[in-house]
Amino acid sequence: MDNLDAARLQMAFTLMFHIVFACIGMVMPFFMVVAHKKWLNTKNPIYLKLTKSWQKGVAIFFVTGAVSGTALSFELGLLWPEFMKHAGPIIGMPFSLEGAAFFVEAVALGFYLYGWNKIPEKFHWYTGLIVGISGVASGILVVSANGWMNAPSGFEYINGEFLNIDPVKALLNPAWFTQALHMTLAAFTATGFAVAGIHAFQVLRQRQIELHKKAFKIAITFGAIAAILQPISGDLSAKDIAKRQPVKLAAMEAHYETKEGAPLYIGGIVDTENREVNYKIEIPNALSFLAFGDFNAEVKGLNDFPKDVQPNVAITHYAFQIMVGLGTLLLLVGILFFISLKRKHWWDTHKFWLIFVALAPMGFIALEAGWVVTEVGRQPWIIHNVMKTKDAVTPMPGMVYSFYMYVVLYSILTIAVTWLMTRQIKALNNSELV
Amino acid sequence: MLYVVLSFLMVSLLLYVLLAGADFGAGIIEFFSSKKSQQLTKKTIYRVIGPVWEANHIWIIIVIVILWVGFPEFYNVLMVYLHIPLTLVLLGITLRGVSFVFRHYDAFVDKSQILYDWMFRISSLVTPIFLGMTFGAMVSGKIITSTNSISFYEAFIQPWLNPFAILVGMFFAALCAFLAAVLLIGEANSEERKIYVRKARIANIAVILIGFLVLSYGIINDLKFVTGFINNPYTIGLVSLSAILILPLTYCIKRAKKVKSRFLAGSQVVLILLAAMVTHYPDVIIISEGYISLTDTAASSEVINVLAITLIIGGAVILPGLFHLLKSFKMIKILE
Ligand code: HDD
Ligand code: HEM
Ligand code: HEM
Repeated sequence: MDNLDAARLQMAFTLMFHIVFACIGMVMPFFMVVAHKKWLNTKNPIYLKLTKSWQKGVAIFFVTGAVSGTALSFELGLLWPEFMKHAGPIIGMPFSLEGAAFFVEAVALGFYLYGWNKIPEKFHWYTGLIVGISGVASGILVVSANGWMNAPSGFEYINGEFLNIDPVKALLNPAWFTQALHMTLAAFTATGFAVAGIHAFQVLRQRQIELHKKAFKIAITFGAIAAILQPISGDLSAKDIAKRQPVKLAAMEAHYETKEGAPLYIGGIVDTENREVNYKIEIPNALSFLAFGDFNAEVKGLNDFPKDVQPNVAITHYAFQIMVGLGTLLLLVGILFFISLKRKHWWDTHKFWLIFVALAPMGFIALEAGWVVTEVGRQPWIIHNVMKTKDAVTPMPGMVYSFYMYVVLYSILTIAVTWLMTRQIKALNNSELV
Repeated sequence: MLYVVLSFLMVSLLLYVLLAGADFGAGIIEFFSSKKSQQLTKKTIYRVIGPVWEANHIWIIIVIVILWVGFPEFYNVLMVYLHIPLTLVLLGITLRGVSFVFRHYDAFVDKSQILYDWMFRISSLVTPIFLGMTFGAMVSGKIITSTNSISFYEAFIQPWLNPFAILVGMFFAALCAFLAAVLLIGEANSEERKIYVRKARIANIAVILIGFLVLSYGIINDLKFVTGFINNPYTIGLVSLSAILILPLTYCIKRAKKVKSRFLAGSQVVLILLAAMVTHYPDVIIISEGYISLTDTAASSEVINVLAITLIIGGAVILPGLFHLLKSFKMIKILE
């Protein structure tokens, strides 16, 4: 493995780890405040118990998210010093605002966790809400920085120098809105289905059924609404990409030949040697329509782009298929959930709960796949059309060792956090109602 | 505007060193405690530091963001040549953070606590040492930025793995322990207080002793930073002031004046840090070929202006909230 590959793998690995914790840290507070509100309104002790147990979850995930995020903010410089030297001043704005959002979040969390029975009830509840809102705000801000890498703006690139920097324009780059919207929905979808799945499993095992059904309902409501909106927002993203990063679009669809009225491929095996896709299902003209809103529009194929600016087609295409496939599945199940609210007897069947248990990890798989599409699809650029990834990497050799260290560290952390969560649930099930 | 940014940078760094320093130090004290007082310290740490623990550590993120936005070339040198110690700092921060929550939020209290406790104590000790080594490396003059073919060892190891940097690392760890001991004195009842008073005294002696070693090593080896340090009248003034504060501090500790003693201990540390900053401002990194100046490597004025405005607005939003948090949980008693 050479240095560049090791650095790329390390970046990918640490981001994939962070994103899971960040999403949970971003979305769980909303579940928590809903349960808390219900406790305040109904004084049903089940809700208090649920709130307190989710709050512990938030605390554990928040810290893991925070430490891995701190590591990331160093890593941007440690791994890509050339990138940060030039990009830092341009996209510093979202990151400095993000710093502010973290502060708000940490302060509010301090109040929330330690404020039970110490500060006024209402204010206490609001601090919980603020934790969630500032978490979402920081998510939007980082994604805007990522959007800038896809759609660089707010500077002039003259003879290898970045001049006339306008940080506000860089923050509001053309990609920020579609990406941030899609990401926020993804966080809600993924966390909603994951949490709902865990509680569905407890219902199946007949433990504290009333409590877990209530928990399930709160989580899945968020998840299902987001899952239903997700494809709409994904379509906006795809139209955006078609204009801004046509190579990425072509790689996502494994679309080799430039064509008018291009077909959409579903499934299929990419043959990178012969530059074709085998065993696929073809939907005529659909790609042209999805990308440009016109069944006969021309979609440029990979063969018409220079070889050295093409990303890895197979990875991008498979990841895209996984995301869209799972997105469709989650959409359908989201609708199913809303129907089940009218057909309460479904809730007594084994099958109903089994579906949600099976879907628990799918949101997160879709989310990771989506990021692979975005990031691998941008290669070989670190800043689209401006700077190549290989020119940004640290000159320090031996990055493989650093990569291995992170793999070991984060694998242990993953196991530890999973173990802690099972213990939380066990404690929840064993305890008497207060 | 550049000076607004520089002030935020300096204040954030000082706050990180003070707040997170006390936080690291609490773990160091726990490390060097007997079994019985370890459990006691653990409880006290949770009560005192728990609510603000997260907020304390965000200061380092602010420092990093200000550096990369405002001083990109400066940041670049740190990230390339001090990659290894910074990675070790991150490793320490990660293990420390997770062991802190694990030990307080695990649903069952059983044998696994022993593991969390040791992870917490060891990482509390090691992290500030590496952080201090990074500071030491910045001024030890061993960073070689010329692109001539130099070995891996010369480029990436020697800058931070040298006696001077190690001494600075130990010095910083001792400072942290000192801060924490003074903080904990105020939280303990009279019986326990004796333990922390003794710890504070030991830490104080360690600070002076190691500080003396740092200076003598620097003088013997004619390090630019140290010779600058002892020949600068302001520096000497600040350090002497800090030394004089020991007298009122001892008095306040005896009289159990907890606010004043925290304040005095904090001031001592701030004075020492200011002395170090004054010595070589604005040439904050000393490399083998000369200096890298903070002001010379600043980003263009548009960027600095926007950064300054963001910081001012952010500060106006956050500081009241943070202050309220500290106050609500009785970290600052000045207002009472
Ligand atoms: C729960 C997760 C999830 C689900 C169900 C979907 N996505 Fe997605 N998608 C993401 C999670 C995600 C993501 C991980 O959040 C990405 C990566 C970068 C981003 O902003 O969002 C993403 C990126 C992304 C991109 C690339 C954006 C870019 O590179 O700038 C496109 C075109 C789509 N998505 C399209 C879709 C479509 C048409 C879906 C239809 C069902 C869909 N996504 C479902
Ligand atoms: C959290 C969700 C994210 C995931 C899972 C993710 C995933 C990845 C992956 C897989 C790569 C490697 C691509 C390759 O080299 O083939 C990568 C690279 C990178 N990502 Fe992301 N990314 C995420 C968000 C971000 C954000 C928000 C930023 C910046 C603000 C960012 C900045 C980078 C940089 C600088 C690289 C290295 C350069 C490159 O390979 O292009 N990423 N990421
Ligand atoms: C290169 C990319 C990234 C960097 C440098 C980064 C940086 C950070 C840092 C420094 C923290 C810790 C703040 C604290 O102490 O509370 C953090 C936490 C967080 N990050 Fe990231 N992050 C990145 C990617 C992302 C992405 C893609 C998202 C989501 C969309 C995200 C969302 C969050 C959230 C919500 C938190 C709050 C912690 C929590 O609630 O668990 N981050 N991140």
